[in-house]
Formats: sequence, structure tokens, C-alpha cells
Amino acid sequence: MSGLIERSSDWFERYLVPPLSTLASSIYLQAVRDAFIIFTLPLIIAGSVFLIVANPPPIFGVDHLLAPYQNAILVPYELSFGLMALFLTFGVAYSLSQYLRTEPVQPGILAMVVFLVASVPVRDLNTLTFGEVLPYFGGQGLLVGIFIGILTAQVMHWFRGSRFTIKLPKTVPSNVKRAFEALVPTLLLLTMVWLIEWFVSSHTFVTATHTTQQMTLPILLMDLFKPLVVVQDSYPAALLEIILMMLLWSVGIHGMNVVTAIAAPFWFTTLAANAQGGHGIVTEPFFHIFAHLGGSGATWPLVIYMLCSRSAQLKTVGKVALGPAIFNINEPVTFGVPMMLNPIMMIPFVMVPVIIVTINYIAFSVGLVHVPIVIQPFTVPVGLSGFIASGGDLRGSLLQFFDLAVSAVLYYPFFKAWERILVAKEEAQEEKNRLAATQAEQRALRQDTAKAVGSRKEGP
Amino acid sequence: MIQILIVCSWGMSTSLLVDSMLAAAAERQYEISVEALSAGEYAAKVDECDVVLIAPQIRHLRKSIEKLATAEGKPVALIEPFHYATMNGQAVLDQVMRMLPGSAEGTITK
Repeated sequence: MSGLIERSSDWFERYLVPPLSTLASSIYLQAVRDAFIIFTLPLIIAGSVFLIVANPPPIFGVDHLLAPYQNAILVPYELSFGLMALFLTFGVAYSLSQYLRTEPVQPGILAMVVFLVASVPVRDLNTLTFGEVLPYFGGQGLLVGIFIGILTAQVMHWFRGSRFTIKLPKTVPSNVKRAFEALVPTLLLLTMVWLIEWFVSSHTFVTATHTTQQMTLPILLMDLFKPLVVVQDSYPAALLEIILMMLLWSVGIHGMNVVTAIAAPFWFTTLAANAQGGHGIVTEPFFHIFAHLGGSGATWPLVIYMLCSRSAQLKTVGKVALGPAIFNINEPVTFGVPMMLNPIMMIPFVMVPVIIVTINYIAFSVGLVHVPIVIQPFTVPVGLSGFIASGGDLRGSLLQFFDLAVSAVLYYPFFKAWERILVAKEEAQEEKNRLAATQAEQRALRQDTAKAVGSRKEGP
Repeated sequence: MIQILIVCSWGMSTSLLVDSMLAAAAERQYEISVEALSAGEYAAKVDECDVVLIAPQIRHLRKSIEKLATAEGKPVALIEPFHYATMNGQAVLDQVMRMLPGSAEGTITK
């Protein structure tokens, strides 16, 4: 049995790990992921707090009390969550510059400027209302932001390594020098993007509220990628994403991390639309809050099983895993049980999340539970997080508990099978130790008798 | 003072290991600093450390991380997955001590 396990682990290591690793190692994907996690997420989460307050659950008439102030309460939300594409642009350029090993702040700031030029229609700015351009800085601008972030970092990196910069004598302080070095790429990027935006905004489009507006790059790109956004918010896409996540985790690679890098622009576009009353399902909370209960793979029940286990290894891991599980962190489970490269545990490790995602998709699409509108740190404990994510719907918590029950039932037989193997192994090891101990004891005894016999011989 | 960088992904689970390592170091009266960071931040900071450790969940980045560390002349290794799982700061600290050039246990103590 253990031979079979080792052989299949080798097979996974040889055929499954390399293609998944290649995907996960792209510096562009990593930069986009870092930008979302490090630079954008804290603002989105903080902004969401104001969104919750502005739309309180109808308990004790709080909603009526706060209704007149709704627009005022939404201002901090609009200027944090609502400007996420602007900050994301900085983050992408900054992170990518780090991966390219070049100074990151200047490309970050330049990218924000270029992003603004790309998003604001070219005309007399006095006639422009802030509300008209605000959507371009939020959900609608994410794709433009990522694109411009990558472009800016690449162009700056190329110019810094090339001859096409303004050269200054060695005596000039390095800060001054850096500012001049940035001049050529800055002017180039600004002019290029401005001319494109000018051309684009010489066209018009009709909005949902039947007003005619100038076209902008964000609108153009959103129209181009609309099919992808729609396709991403579907059951097959959700299925594909969860399977990819869990396959990656099955070989010990951070799956959520990799898939986030690819899917995040779509998740956040859908989520931003939900905050405005949309009904998108496949968003970041759909996975982090409603599927990864106790960590990727919905491993909460496993921790309880481990705490009661007869296997010493599982019991040790269970004790370490309990605290982190409350906050949906399960590296102890993944690497300690272990789930990764374990042909027995890998089956439910992929299957359980797939079934949970299916249940949740149905629950959201038939309206049993309000779709996720609020994003929060993934460390918020199960029960509370479902309530918050669905914008104050208690059925969100109930759905999480139902999913946990499903996970508990499905994991049980696999856990028992794995436990039997470990216990047998541990008992064999113990037997061996006991045998070695008795042998050592006997040897010691023999030596003692020999010595005793010897001393008697030497005696008088 | 031993400066240790742990390259990981979100930094959430690694922070638990960092705490455990700091506790283990305090027990042995070693002076260490441990920082958990992403692969991008690592690229910018590799020259400021003594030892580089790789968290098991990003071992797919091992090659590029090792290349950078070797170029800077820093010892680098993957954290044993089971030690990572059980947040075993003692064991990881042992690993660090073995990686440092010419440092039998104890010579680095302050």
C-alpha cells in the first residue's frame, strides 16, 4: 500500500507539478496578484465597511434611520473601493518593477498618471462631472489598470537599461539624475496614451440610462472583454477555477494564489457590479468565504477528526491546526496530514470543494441566499463571514454550516482509510522500537552476566 | 544577529512559524530577525539578509528564488513541509544553523 502511495506521488511530481509550476511562476501573474493583495485589498475591505453601514440589514429600523444619510456615508466607500483601479495600476507597476529588479516607486506613480490620461475623456475638463468618470476608476477600469501597469513597468525597465535616456555628468546627485532619466519614457507614454484616448473619445456611446457619453478606453476595453466577464461568471468557469485551485494545492502549490492572479480582474468587476445591485455569483467571496471553509479544501471537519485520532501524527497536526483553522488557514492540514501528493486524501481534497461550489452556485442562482456583495479578509471565522459577505443575510451563515456538514460526511471515509494506514505504520514502528529495546536490554543483561561470570573467575 | 527571510505567498500562515522561530531563538538566546515576504519583495531585499528560506507552498518558485540567492551568495533552502505544518520553530532554526557557513551551534550566539 505504501509503495503504491509513493509511486503515485512520484507520478504526480513528474507529470502534474511542472505544468502547474510554469503557470504559477509567471512574473506578470505574480505582479497582478501582489497588486491585488498588497495594494488594493486593504482599501477595498475598508471601503466595504462604509458600504455595509450605508445599506444596513433591516433590523430595529436602523435602515430607515440611516436612509437620509446614505449618500454621505457612501463617500469614503466611493473614494476607496470606487478608486480601486487607480491603486491597482500603481500596484501592478510597482510589483512588476520589483520582479524586474528595478526601482519601483517611479514606475508606480507614472502608471497612475498614464491611467488617469487613459480614463478621462479628452475635452474641456470644466464640463466634466466627477460622477461621470468615477466608474472608470473602479470596477470598469481594472483591465485598463493592469494593462497600463504592465506596460509602464516594462517601458521604464527597458529605458533604464538602454541608451535612450538623458545622460548627466557623474557629479549630479542620483535623485536628480533619476528624475531626468524618467523624462523620456514619461513623455513617450503620456503622449501615446493621450493620443489613443483622444481618438477613442472622439466617439460616443449610449449609457444604460439613455444619455450619450464620450467613449473612453475603459469602456472600450470592457466592451471587448465583456464576453470573458460574462463567461467567467458561470458554473463551468467556477468549476474550472475550483478544480485548478485544488489540483495546485494537491501538489502543495498555493492554488488560490495562482487562480487569483488570473481571475481577480473578473471577480472584482463582478463584485463591483454586485455592490451596485448586480447579481453576479462567481466573485472572490464565492471562493474565499463560501468554499474554503477553514482553509482551501474546506478542511475544518478534518481538524476535529484529527483531534480525536488514534494516530500520533494526526493528533499532533490536529492540535497545531485548530487555531489557524478558526481563521481559515490550513497549511498545517495540507502539509501535515498531508493532503498534498497523498493519493487517498487528494480525492476528497478536490471533490469536496467541487461539490460545495456546486451547492453554493445553485443556492445563489435560485436566490436562496443573497449573492456576495461585501469583501472581507479571508480570516473572518466561518459563520460570521457568510453573514457579512451576503450583505447581512443570515442564510449566508446557514449555507456555510450546511457546506461544512457536507464536507464532514464526505471526508470521513477517506480520513478513516488514511488513519488506518498511519496507525498501522506507527504500530509497526513502535513494535520495531520495542524489539530493539528488548534486544538492547538482553544484550546489556548478557554483558552483565558475562562480567559477573568474569569477575567470579578473577575472584580469589 | 542572524537575518532570515522566508519567501511565502500571503504571509498569513508563515507569520505563525515566524512567532514560533522567534520563541525558539529567545529560548536559546540567539539574536535573530525573521521576515516573511512575497517573491516580489524578496527580489528587492535579498541583499539584506543572511539566510533565505522557502515556504513549501511556493516551492514551484524555488528555482528562480535560488538563482537570486546564489547570485548574492546567500544560503537558501526549502522548509521541510512537515516542520512547516506543525509550525516547529525549533526544527527550522536548527535548519538555519546548519545552513550558515562555518557556524557550529553556539558560535553565533550573542
